[in-house]
Amino acid sequence: MKKSGTGKWNKYLTAGLLMTGLALLLGIVGIFWTPYSTTAMSAAEKFDAPSLLHIFGTDNFGRDIFSRVMEGMGTTVVISTLVVLFSGSAGILLGALTGYFGGVLDEIVMRVTDAVNGFPSILLTLVIISILSSGRQNVILSLGIVFVPSYVRIVRSEFIRLRDADYIRRARLMGVGRMRILFVHILPNIFSVFWVSVMIGFNNAILAESGMSYLGIGVQPPDASLGKMLSDAQGYLRTAPWYALAPGLSIVWVVLGFALFSEGIRRRNERVS
Amino acid sequence: MIRIEDLSVAFEDTEAVKHVSLELIDGEVLGVVGESGSGKSVTALTLMGLVADSAQITSGRVLFDDVVLREAGKPCDKALYRKYQGARMSMVFQEPMTSLNPTQRVGKQVEEMLRLHTDLRGEEMKRKVLEAFRSVGLREVEKVYSCYPHQLSGGMRQRVMIAMAVILHPRLIVADEPTTALDVTIQNQIIGLLREINQKQNNAMLFITHDLNLARRLCNRIAVMKDGEVVELGETEDIFQNPGEAYTKRLIEAVPSRMKRRRNIAAVRGMGEPAGSGLAGKLPTGRESEAEAGAGQERCAELERCTGQERCAELERCTGQERCAELERCTGQDGRNPILQVRNLSVYYRDGNNSLFSRREKQCVVSGADFELYSGESLGLVGESGCGKTSLSKAILGINKEVEGEITHTTLRPQMIFQDPYSSLNPSKTIGWLLMEPLRARAALDKAYAMTREDMEAAAYDMLHKVGMEDKYFHRKPSQLSGGQRQRVSIGQALITRPGMIVADEPVSALDVTIQAQIMELMQKLQQEMHLSYLFISHDINVVYQMCDRIMVMKEGRIIECGETEAIFHNPREKYTKLLLGNS
Repeated sequence: MKKSGTGKWNKYLTAGLLMTGLALLLGIVGIFWTPYSTTAMSAAEKFDAPSLLHIFGTDNFGRDIFSRVMEGMGTTVVISTLVVLFSGSAGILLGALTGYFGGVLDEIVMRVTDAVNGFPSILLTLVIISILSSGRQNVILSLGIVFVPSYVRIVRSEFIRLRDADYIRRARLMGVGRMRILFVHILPNIFSVFWVSVMIGFNNAILAESGMSYLGIGVQPPDASLGKMLSDAQGYLRTAPWYALAPGLSIVWVVLGFALFSEGIRRRNERVS
Repeated sequence: MIRIEDLSVAFEDTEAVKHVSLELIDGEVLGVVGESGSGKSVTALTLMGLVADSAQITSGRVLFDDVVLREAGKPCDKALYRKYQGARMSMVFQEPMTSLNPTQRVGKQVEEMLRLHTDLRGEEMKRKVLEAFRSVGLREVEKVYSCYPHQLSGGMRQRVMIAMAVILHPRLIVADEPTTALDVTIQNQIIGLLREINQKQNNAMLFITHDLNLARRLCNRIAVMKDGEVVELGETEDIFQNPGEAYTKRLIEAVPSRMKRRRNIAAVRGMGEPAGSGLAGKLPTGRESEAEAGAGQERCAELERCTGQERCAELERCTGQERCAELERCTGQDGRNPILQVRNLSVYYRDGNNSLFSRREKQCVVSGADFELYSGESLGLVGESGCGKTSLSKAILGINKEVEGEITHTTLRPQMIFQDPYSSLNPSKTIGWLLMEPLRARAALDKAYAMTREDMEAAAYDMLHKVGMEDKYFHRKPSQLSGGQRQRVSIGQALITRPGMIVADEPVSALDVTIQAQIMELMQKLQQEMHLSYLFISHDINVVYQMCDRIMVMKEGRIIECGETEAIFHNPREKYTKLLLGNS
């Protein structure tokens, strides 16, 4: 995987894999186990600087920041994955139908997605959250809805491009059923394009989730979340800079890793084709 | 004099051109002929200094008079080249749409040449451009001057390109497949124009083409290239009369031509029958129909022999539905029954975009088509681009629903072979999957055709062999195949359900001549084996001549002439048909 067909080393892919791999590992382990309890407070260990005992230091309640970053990473990864799954599959379904068939359905769906695109996404999630009240599922749902239009557009344009390809015409001549043409004949051919947009979407989801937590409309305490930690740390920037640095750099790390990973995938696809 | 001495060009580790030496004197037209990948374009681009920077000159040099333009081991001297490009050497490209800037008026684009290389300005410049336009045979030059490329036809665009190339009277003109993208009649005009310019201006011309016939009509000398090497170089007629190399011989033989005798298709077809019947039994489906067809053909011959009373007796003797069907098939014209009947067919095209509110204009692209296709025959459909050939075929296949008139065919699902082998196979599937998909689709539509996976695989392997490919390709993807191989798979995919009727839309136009010949042979072989009817669409009248029993000529949406191939070729009735024939 790291070595591409032409024998050239794909550095983007390697770096991306390493960075996201580490982040995902920490996050997934963080869901089940952390070095310290993420909620246990200890007045004696308030604002300990990073040390071998607490490698990212401790916060204003004496909680181990590394453990909380691990848990926050887990939360973020799970939420982002579900958001991408939700919006991606909705995007494929709507994009495939509108792109292939066109017509009235296409007009309606496209005008609705235009309308959704018209709002700033954070405002829209705010509205949805205020209607549904906050909580894990509602964060996923609201972000999912906000991200659907971008996938619909990409999938739709690919389906429009391919619906008149010779091999699709031929499939129609053979009498292949419509749904089979959509999802067996066309869909695999758009994956290289779709995959890149999923990667970018995943990054956007991480950032959006952190942003919502930062604003206090994301996951609620006592669940740890990178965004929430950032906003908590704001008040202690001078006294305990590591408190803000740890979650901040974690976000940068995972987003950068993913960006490199998707760039690596793109380059690999390009070289193959 | 322009000299290429021992030139080798390499891209990374592949050598595209190997030790090529060519010489061009003033007033001479040198043809460089070869199939795709033979290095002819790279040679020309290197000569012009337009080859990509990643190309390395590994040996030899390019000389213009006595000036060294390019030498092995030295980087391209762009400043030096700029003095030569345009003024002393110019190029005509293949695709006139992409070699003109779509956002600029063509007059301005031609003026650019004058602005860069002469002191002419303003009105003088325009006068010179109009003069050049007139000299390349453009009419209404003032209007052309202020047109954008998309407002001109392909032929006119190519004329503009040529005007741009010759306006400064360069010593050398490199024409890289200048007529490939054009219709035959236009092609002929452009060739005539190039010859005229060559005689008038006495410049040297390097004419690159894959079409030997074209090279023969224009060039004084011909260089045949293969795998980056010049394998043969000589006077045009010498090469055609006494090809020295086996490759040249093959190339000349592969070119479809009316000079060569056509196979007697009817005779061959009769002999083909046992083969067809022999196949029966190997496959679980299609067996009956195949055997029936074989028997039918024999019976037909028998029936033809019978006359009057005898035939009546024969008719009386027949009982049961099967026999009747057989007889029905045998009566009718030439003892063959039409597998497809088209009566007074008009095809329309809906203009406008796919929007909710825009009203769509209806445009008639084919009107009053009236013909039939008989079982086991090849019917050629000839015409220039835009004459409605493809619209007609789409209507027959049922892709285009905007039709008036009657189409009746006896086959269940006629299939199609497409022109471009690179876009007609789904790139994400394996060859085996592609060959089995028609069987799956048929099974999904009609339970009677349901097959087990093993049977389907067996049928796919069998088809793979039939189209002349080995087992190992079964698990490959289309991207791992060459153009000819893809076209073979494409044919296999169309035939695996034994549709009886195939619409072939320019099936060999995108292929090299030698591959073209192979595919045509394959199609004829399969026609005998499987008793197929082809509706064969092509702009190349020579290809049609070799493939078809009857020919229809189409012009502006109408079928203007229809008849036996030999009859049409020897006594064309319509002026337009004569024009088409005369031009190739």
